[in-house]
Amino acid sequence: MKKILPIIFLVVAIFIPVVFKTKPSIIYFINLSMIYAISAQGLNLLMGIGGQISLGHAAFMAIGGYTSAILVMKFHTPFLPALVAGVALSCIFGLIVGFPSLRLKGFYLAIATMALGSVVTDVIRRLAITGGDYGFANISPPEIFKFVFSSNFSQFYMILGFLLLTTWLARNFIRSKSGMALQAMRDSVTGAVALGINISNYKLLAFIISSAFAGLAGVLYAHSVTYLNAFNFGLAFSIDLLAITIIGGLGTLWGSLLGAILWVLVRNFLSLAHFEVFAGVIFGVMLIIVVVFLPRGLSEIIIRINQRMNRKRVIT
Amino acid sequence: MFSLFFRGLATGSIYSLTAMGIVLILSTTNVMNFSQGDMGMFLAFIALILLMAKIPYPVTIIIIILMGIFLGFLLEKGLMSKVRKTSHIGMVMITLALTMIFEGIVGIFVKTPTLFPPAISGGPIIFGTIIMDRQDLLSLAISLIVVIILFLALYRTKIGIASRSLAEDEYAAKLLGIPVKNIYIFIWAIAFGLAGLAGIMVAPRLSLEPTFMLVIQLKAFIAAVLGGMNSVLGAVVGGLLLGVVENFVSFYIPQIKDSFSLILVVLVLLFLPQGLFGKRETRRA
Repeated sequence: MKKILPIIFLVVAIFIPVVFKTKPSIIYFINLSMIYAISAQGLNLLMGIGGQISLGHAAFMAIGGYTSAILVMKFHTPFLPALVAGVALSCIFGLIVGFPSLRLKGFYLAIATMALGSVVTDVIRRLAITGGDYGFANISPPEIFKFVFSSNFSQFYMILGFLLLTTWLARNFIRSKSGMALQAMRDSVTGAVALGINISNYKLLAFIISSAFAGLAGVLYAHSVTYLNAFNFGLAFSIDLLAITIIGGLGTLWGSLLGAILWVLVRNFLSLAHFEVFAGVIFGVMLIIVVVFLPRGLSEIIIRINQRMNRKRVIT
Repeated sequence: MFSLFFRGLATGSIYSLTAMGIVLILSTTNVMNFSQGDMGMFLAFIALILLMAKIPYPVTIIIIILMGIFLGFLLEKGLMSKVRKTSHIGMVMITLALTMIFEGIVGIFVKTPTLFPPAISGGPIIFGTIIMDRQDLLSLAISLIVVIILFLALYRTKIGIASRSLAEDEYAAKLLGIPVKNIYIFIWAIAFGLAGLAGIMVAPRLSLEPTFMLVIQLKAFIAAVLGGMNSVLGAVVGGLLLGVVENFVSFYIPQIKDSFSLILVVLVLLFLPQGLFGKRETRRA
């Protein structure tokens, strides 16, 4: 009975494309929110589990997306190796950003990640191979073993697969020895050191994993949206990702998905009504409500349902 | 040459005003305040409405500063004090949420960059080879006065000394019976008052749009890092220094104009983490 909620989720997810068969745009939005969920999950691991702040998370998405797009479009690499390369390069940058994090904390780390995030988008805009300010258009859809995921529906299943994979990885990571160590470090650095936890290694690990998630999300974004522009991956998007993670619920497994769905839905409904600027206000207010009243964000709902089903306290 | 220096000084004074607010809040409440810049933007927007309603300029400036003080009071009283005990990251998130709200609200009304009337009109003052813009001169003068008042407040009044003690050691301050809650309110109020002033001083130079203070805020962060995060004097000097250096760099080497300050901050963090005036933090593992 314990696993009933994920199964319900999976069944619902599989039938979503069948229900919305006539509305590819809805599927497109759901795809987008799943991609954001993957990226936010990375931020969640870094912030919710590791207690480190990052204001340059969107830059890792840009790195992953551009790497894969350039490899596929300019060097005709197949999709899967390009995906791996995108994630790997993103990891390397995560490592580079992780190093200052060993010396910096809190405020300084936020500034350093913010600065590095801006530098990355700045560099991308100056390079010729990335298309500069015009962006990178007409990226081909993903192709795995001769199967081209060209429609929104087929992409839905592919992204769902990646979402399940990353969620599973994140769940295992949180429960693993490294995840436990990071949580100990988040709660008390002194305590973690006293327990013999190697702080530096785990901080680096947190940065690498979070940037790997962001890189993967970036690759998926590049090939399903088919258009990249460094301008979209600036500080504003990094802050949006932070908001998604926090509104969804910091340190919870489901939070990033809930937050991402909400973000995409609200934003697109408002843009249909030509009232997009108002999204910021709604999210700001929601963020404040969550911070003040709901420390576990929207995941509170999932946790409550789970409790009712299992009749005992479940800690994710 | 000297005009460049002066122009940089004027820009730097805005950075200083914003950086002071950030440093005051960071050193006492330990919160990284992302909303400093956008609070200035929001107040500048209100100032624009007031000015359009034919309210004289000096009165507008005073109303704006008072409003900033009031908003700071509200924020601390209504939100920050509730979250302080439970989550530290939550307080940072509230400041981020405020930036979203302010940008959203102003974005509804201001669709295109809007010109903001300068406080004093008229051509630049020419002083031999030095050319000085009147608005620049005014913002420099006002910043100077505000800095002096602020320093008097911090070093000569009871509440100022109390807030400095709080910044130094929160636990000891509480033991000495300092009313910590009131001081938090005092600090937020001062910081947002400064934000309003910075906003109204810089708005005539850039034009008003929802994101126009973000650059200033980023520069203010850098100025704060440059001066040392826990020193108000450092923020002032860091801001002025950054303004001047940046102006020279953008004149002589325009290619690296945008990235220069970011590169600078990374270098400072790597080689001089405590900044120019900051106290070296004793490392507790």
